[in-house]
Amino acid sequence: MGLLQELIFGLVTGSYIAIAAIGFTLIYGIVNMINFAYGEYLTLGAFIGFLAANALPGPLPVAVVAAMIGGGIVSIVLARGFFTPINNTGPVPMLLTSIGLGIALRNAIRLVGGRSARYFETETSTFRFDAIPDLAVGPVDLLGGVFVTSEHLIVIGSAVAVFVAIHALLTRTDVGIAMRAMGDDESLARVRGIDTQLIRDSVWVLAGVLAGLAGVLMAVQTNVSADTGFSHILQILSAAILGGAGSPYGAILGAYVIGIVLAVSTAFLPSSMTGLSSAAAFVILIAVLLVKPSGIAGTEVREA
Amino acid sequence: MSVLDRLPSGHGDRALIAGVVCLLVGALFALTPLRVQLPSAFYVFVEVGILFVIYGILVLGLDLQYGHTGLVNFGHVVFFAVGAYATAMLSAQDTFAGIGLGYPWPLGLAVGVIAAAILGAAVSLTSIRLRGDFLAIVTLATAEIFHSVFVNFEDIFGGNVGILGVPRPIAALVADGDTRLVATLLVLGGITLLTFTVVTRLTHAPYGRVLRAIRADELVTRSVGKSTITYKTQAFVYGAALAGLAGGLFALYNGAVAPGFFTIQVTVTIWIGMLLGGAANHRAVLAGLAIIMGLRLVSRFALDVTPVSSDVFASARLIVVGLILVAVIRYRPAGIWGDAQELGVDQ
Repeated sequence: MGLLQELIFGLVTGSYIAIAAIGFTLIYGIVNMINFAYGEYLTLGAFIGFLAANALPGPLPVAVVAAMIGGGIVSIVLARGFFTPINNTGPVPMLLTSIGLGIALRNAIRLVGGRSARYFETETSTFRFDAIPDLAVGPVDLLGGVFVTSEHLIVIGSAVAVFVAIHALLTRTDVGIAMRAMGDDESLARVRGIDTQLIRDSVWVLAGVLAGLAGVLMAVQTNVSADTGFSHILQILSAAILGGAGSPYGAILGAYVIGIVLAVSTAFLPSSMTGLSSAAAFVILIAVLLVKPSGIAGTEVREA
Repeated sequence: MSVLDRLPSGHGDRALIAGVVCLLVGALFALTPLRVQLPSAFYVFVEVGILFVIYGILVLGLDLQYGHTGLVNFGHVVFFAVGAYATAMLSAQDTFAGIGLGYPWPLGLAVGVIAAAILGAAVSLTSIRLRGDFLAIVTLATAEIFHSVFVNFEDIFGGNVGILGVPRPIAALVADGDTRLVATLLVLGGITLLTFTVVTRLTHAPYGRVLRAIRADELVTRSVGKSTITYKTQAFVYGAALAGLAGGLFALYNGAVAPGFFTIQVTVTIWIGMLLGGAANHRAVLAGLAIIMGLRLVSRFALDVTPVSSDVFASARLIVVGLILVAVIRYRPAGIWGDAQELGVDQ
């Protein structure tokens, strides 16, 4: 397969990571915590979507909507139960709580759903473009024939729709503007009469809805199992930090960088070492924190 | 005046005596034909006990980093793994996969400690200035990178099989299985107690007071003229070196290393043990670790009497472990025996 094909895979991966990374980074910016249990939100979304797709007669979009609603409910319930009570203890206790919650959720899902992976049954049509000539440089083919499936297009399309919706929400609605104000300065926002707890709750719901959507898209591309979300959490985190923690636009950019690096490193690495491509994302993450810890969009994360 | 009155009163000195006694008794079993017989029900206790004393060195190192200095290292397992792999690769003979150089094991152990310390220095030089939660992410990512390197470079690290044929010094001296287990537990337990002595001396010294001052308020500590970055780097490297020691001992006890022994689960176990017991208190973190690892024993025995599969049981145990972490942070942020005022975590 040529590099061009890997780039398409990278765009698809970047798209579902971007949706999840927006939710992750919104929680980071407004609740001020790294939510390590976020991967489990994706898994729950994927399971809800899978159950809905099998139980409801409707097409896949119905399952997606069910997963989004379910994700939102799960997110706000978990936040109210676990994170809101310790909101003022600082970032480290909240991170540790989310790690504990993540372990508990992941194993609860495994207990109920079993260890085996399930697959979405979707009908896909494949569009091939074989006319593109090869352009070999060493062992790597830079162009070559490519194909795009309807699934790929759905994932990318959903991501674009989410970007537009999030942009509209953050710039055109009162809730979104209040969110940005809180991300900037929480005390100032409260002084101006913003109900900060209400905004925090709406961020949790929004992040859950995004997690539900990203979970289903991820599951359609890979599979539904207890580790679906957890296996992506470090990539989501890398994307969010790469883009500048707290910035949704940065997260989108970071997600596509991560997705494309993952795909391209798969193309360049010898076939016995493709497992290293996931490490590549973390190398980028560490490099970003060292060189420009504020990320592409800029928030200070150093103390001294 | 009885012998008891003459015992030193400090925890560190008592641990020193207990550690030396353990080592001597362990050596007695290892070097003389003296034999012990274990009731078969005790095997599991001794095995978990050996793992506990190895993890005990890990948690003491982590406590130096987090409990005393406030460094959130969520990739502690990577130093454990690097120490184990370095020891194994230097000393292994006829390994099935990967590199085994066949040098004497004391050299391997020394290199294991040094390798972990160097990695600790590299991580701290680059990342120690990051805010707490981001340092956690960097260390976690470091652990994941090394994990995938160990799995993927099969020619060097043996892939998922790992490095086999690591010499087992105690097993080489004692042929009898029961005696071997007891001698191993005593020797490793003795080393853990000596480690306890060393870290207690270190943290009771003025040096330890500076570390705790950094944890309490870094700006104030810097403004009285202490180079906080130097202290933080040193504490991080000491913790990493201790983890390397634990890793080397693990490799020499286990006779093999593989990526499966060094998952994030190890980090989570020692973190929960530390927080449950009470960070910044060496005895408390060991006790907390004992509680968490005791859960393994409970679940192992419960497994025998309940009709569910081991998979289900493992999941159920991990749910409990995760919820314990959540509950500790919420209801007893200083841990069971920790000092809330000293840790600055008043509710």
